[in-house]
Parts: sequence; C-alpha cells; structure tokens
Amino acid sequence: MSLIPGLGIVRGMGVTLSKFFAPKATIMYPEQPADVAPKYRGRLQLLYDEWGTLKCETCFQCAQACPIECIDMGGIDTKGRFHVHWGPPETYGERREESAIRRSGRTVADPGFAHFEEIDLAALDEILAAHDYDPKDTLAILEETQAEYGYLPVAALKHISRMTGAWYAMLYGTASYYRHLRFEPPSVTTAPRAGEAHRADEAAYRSALDAALGGAASA
Amino acid sequence: MSALTRPWNNLTLVGKVILPLLFLVLVVGPIVTVLAAVYVAPLVVDILASNLGIVRFVVAITAILLFSIPAAFIIIYMELKVIAYMNTRVGPNRVGPGGSLHSVVAGLKVLLKEDFTPTSADAIVFTWAPVFVFLTAVMTFLVLPFGPGLYAQDLNIGLLYLFAVGGMTVVGLLIAGWSSFNKYSLLGGLRSAAQVVSYEIPLTLSVVGLILLAGTMSLNQIAENQSGGFWNWYVFRQPLGALIFFIAATAEANRTPFDLTEADSEIVAGFATEYSGMRFGFLFFAEYVNVFIISGLLTTLFFGAWNAPVPFPHIELSLDPGSLGIMLLILLAVVPLILTLLFALPFWLTQSRMPGWQALILGFLAFNVVAVGAVLGLAYVGFDWFAGLVWFMIKSFLFVFLFVWMRGTLPRVRIDHLMGFAWKWLLPASLLNLFITAIAIVVLKSTVIP
Repeated sequence: MSLIPGLGIVRGMGVTLSKFFAPKATIMYPEQPADVAPKYRGRLQLLYDEWGTLKCETCFQCAQACPIECIDMGGIDTKGRFHVHWGPPETYGERREESAIRRSGRTVADPGFAHFEEIDLAALDEILAAHDYDPKDTLAILEETQAEYGYLPVAALKHISRMTGAWYAMLYGTASYYRHLRFEPPSVTTAPRAGEAHRADEAAYRSALDAALGGAASA
Repeated sequence: MSALTRPWNNLTLVGKVILPLLFLVLVVGPIVTVLAAVYVAPLVVDILASNLGIVRFVVAITAILLFSIPAAFIIIYMELKVIAYMNTRVGPNRVGPGGSLHSVVAGLKVLLKEDFTPTSADAIVFTWAPVFVFLTAVMTFLVLPFGPGLYAQDLNIGLLYLFAVGGMTVVGLLIAGWSSFNKYSLLGGLRSAAQVVSYEIPLTLSVVGLILLAGTMSLNQIAENQSGGFWNWYVFRQPLGALIFFIAATAEANRTPFDLTEADSEIVAGFATEYSGMRFGFLFFAEYVNVFIISGLLTTLFFGAWNAPVPFPHIELSLDPGSLGIMLLILLAVVPLILTLLFALPFWLTQSRMPGWQALILGFLAFNVVAVGAVLGLAYVGFDWFAGLVWFMIKSFLFVFLFVWMRGTLPRVRIDHLMGFAWKWLLPASLLNLFITAIAIVVLKSTVIP
C-alpha cells in the first residue's frame, strides 16, 4: 500500500507497456521447428493403457535397437521381488542371483555395461555429494561431470543413476538434449592449418629439394 | 416471323434468359436513363434540396452505420494484438498480413453460427434486445463531431442527447437478460443495470462543470472552444472532471477493471448467456462501438476534439484541376506511366538478378505509395475537415489503446467495491468539481469582468 493513491496502477501499467515492446516468446511452430540437438532421442517413458495396464509387452525390440544399451527390462513380481525378464526362462536363475545381490545392498556388475571403460569414480562421488545426490540437480551434475572427465562416460552416467535414483534413460535423455554435453571424448586429431607443413619432415624435404634444384623450389 | 423464331428456338435456356436481359440493358436502359435525367432528375433534386436536413441526416446515418462496423473490427483486432503483445505473445497472425483480417473472419464465423432461441424465451424481445443495444450505441455517433463540419447533427443539446441515448443501453441490457428466460441471465442483466445506472450519475455530473465553462451543450461548439493549441484544452481547466469522466466512462462501457457485466474469465457472460450467433455478435459489436464512443467523447470534451495540439498555419491552396482542360486527361494517363518507369529504374539498374517485370511491379508499388502519400498530404494541408478527422482519429485511437492497455493490466474489481467506489468517491468528487468550478466562475466574473 503506497501513500500515493493509484501509484500501484501506474506501475502495473508501466510493466505491461514495457512487455509490449519486449521481444516475443512465441515460436512459429510449423514454420520454425524447435531447435533440438541432432543426437536427441527424446525421453524414454513407458505408457499405460486406459485400464492402467502397462502397454509394454517386453518384446525387447527397443532394447536391441538402443545404440548405447541404456534400455533394460525388469519388474517387481507379486511378492515385491525385482526380476529382469531378459531372454528365455532358463536364464532367470542367473537374474535371481543378481537380484539377491542388489537387494543385499551390494553393487551388481551389469553385463550390459561391462564392455564400456571403467573410470575413477572418486571425483564423481565428490560432485554427487556436493549436490546431495539430488536428481533435481541432474543438469548441474552432468555439466560438472563433463568438466571433470572431458565427456560423459557411460560408467559415470551409470554411477549417477545408481547414486541419485534417477533412471539411466532419463539421464541419457537429458544429456542428449543439450548440445554442449557429449558422450565421446573430444577429438584429439587436429587438422593442419593452411600453410602449415603437412608432413613431419616437410622442412628437410624442402631443403633437400632446394639443394638439388639450386634454390628454385623455395622461390 | 419464322426468320426470328427459328434462331430463338435454337437457343439454350440460358441464352433465352440472357438475350432479353441484354436487350433491356443495352437498349431500354439508356433510354430510361436519358428520360429520367431529363424529366425526373430535376424533380428529385428539387425535393431533396427542399429537405436538405433530412437528406443530410439519412446520408450521415448511413455513413455512421457503415463506419461503426469497421471501427469495431479495428478495435477487436487491436484488443487481440495489443493484449497479446503485452503477454509477450504474437497474437493473431494467420489471416491477412499480420493477422489483420482476423476479426473480419471472426465476424463471418459469428454470422455462420446457429442462431438459437431458448424454449419459452420471449422471442420478439429476445430478438430485438441486441438490435436495441447496438442502435443506442450507434445513435450516439449522431452528435459526435469527427472534424470541422463532419457531424451528422449539430444539436444544441448534444451532450444531453448523448447521455440520454447512452443511458438507454441499460434498457437493452435489462430486456436482454429478462427475455432469455434464465435466472442467471436475469441476474446478469440486473447486475449490469445496477452498475451502469450507478456510474451514469458521476459521468453526467463530471461534465456539468465543463458545460458551465463552455456555456453550451453543443459538442461542435465545445470542440471549437478548444481550438488554438493544447493549452486551451478543457483537461487543463477541468482535470478532476476529466479523471472522473474517464473512470465513469470506463464503467459505462463495461471495460476492465469494471467489466462486471460479462466478466468473461470468471462467470458466464451475464445477460448474454443465452445469446448465440449474430445476436451475440451484435451485443459485442455494441460493446466495441461503445469503446470508440467513449474514446471519441473523451477526445471531444477534454482533449481538444479535432484540433491539432499545436496550431498548424493554414495554407491556402489554389489548385484548380479543371483549368487544365484536356491536358488534365493527358496528364492523368501519362504521369503514372512515367513515374512507374522512373521508380522502377533504380531497382532495374542496381538489382542485376531481378527480372524486368519484377522491377516494374516494385516501381508501380513505389509510385502508388508516393501518390497516395502526396494526395493525403495535400488533403491534410488543403482541407480543414481532413486534418481535423486525422487528429480526431489519432486521439480517439490513443484512448482506445489506453482502454485496451488497462484491460491487459488491471484485475477486475469486486462488485461491492465497484458500487461503493461510484457512490462514496466518484459522486462526491464530481459534486466537488462542480462546486469549485461554479465558485471559480462566479468569482472570476465578478472580479475580472465587472
């Protein structure tokens, strides 16, 4: 409540007038599609039909198509146990073992990610502790992880998923949405700049040529 | 006879219809026209000349009816676009350039909708209520001076007429609510009647001071009193009156923050609940015409009507195109051609990749822009009424913008606050304004002019 009556109205009118000249937030959708990174594949989500049943039939087509094997299938049975329905029923015993390990609190070696390189997780643990293992800080965690390792290793994503409880698929979807996050280490081969020597022994070669031609090659 | 009937029988049905029509148009038409021009026209001109007042009235009322619809369309478009811009949106942008034909298409849509009358509604009253509301809005245009000499009727009780006709809107709203046979419509009609009647009093009282100052109720005379610079405008002599008039007129026209009659975001449209199709369209046309009328009234009463803010030196133009004779025809034929080629030349010379016909089209467009600009400029300089119209429209649409701006900003007031504000604040303030003005006039008259 201001002392001058009507001051609030005048200030409100000022706000709307400044917005009148402000740049507009509208995106002309069909003509101008949203700017999305080419690596973006959307967020993975399982859908339910109108009776509340999971639409997924565990056909594993998505898991086989997934380029980085982030899709895995499993569920909790009627007794509250976790099962991964991977492959034919005779492999269930193996998975039950895994399930027992997981429920005992130990980390399970995930064969789906075994062939990705191991990394030193100490730095990542620090980052996660700084963010209190909060999945709401996903973007900040991912950015700091990339700053630490130079890229987002699969092992790091897996570790973040395990420690924060965020799904690996969500982490991957978030990371793939942003252009500045990458999954491969940045390329180290640098192309020679124009005018630079293309070969290591270019100078020696040139001087030999010069000597042979009597100074004509450098001219 | 068979020489005529044989080709006649060979004609198709369409030909049999078209041939007599062609005969009528080409042979009978000119003869009738010439006869009418010779014998009937003087009679008609005589009758019209002896009833010039009626002719002027009919012409003016037709022009006003024709004007009110595009004015409403422009205001609807302004409202959509300005509020969208204030919400950092773009607003309508699909129909026409920049979405400018959006409101026209919306009007067509309203025309195509089903026109529904509820069972056991009073059908006659129900049908005529929107017409009544629209007509009261349009009739107030009758005394509004758009420019020097550009008014339908210069009533010497113009202001009184305006408030009388404007006040009749309440009756339209009430019968619209009552005839819908719906208790919510009836309540909505009563609510809007209560609001409009309450604000009618400060609205009328706020201009009494102005009438005392001006010594007349003719809007034309009030406009002429304010000529010669913005320091003569009544807003500087009646600031309180102008403020009260502005607030009360906002409530009269049911604009935010006083749009309790429809309150489109909170309750169903009040008295207009049962209306659909073009009848609903008329109710809303009336609302937007009202917005223009209160803007025009504010301009006329307090902001110098058609007068420019700084007086423009009058230039006497002595253009007599008739004196050129046959040269005028040749000029009219040749000048557009030459100018089009002239304007096309720079495009053709500088843009080597542009085909010649594109350069010609651009040249023609440039010529049109220059020609229209020149004609409008000449009209502004040469005709007082045109300059007045331009200033009146600029000022009025600035006020329309202000009303739309307020709608984009302010929240709606509560109904008891609305009524309390009218009776506890606006009415005493307008009485105060009246007394101060009256005392000032008496004191000044007795001291300055003994």
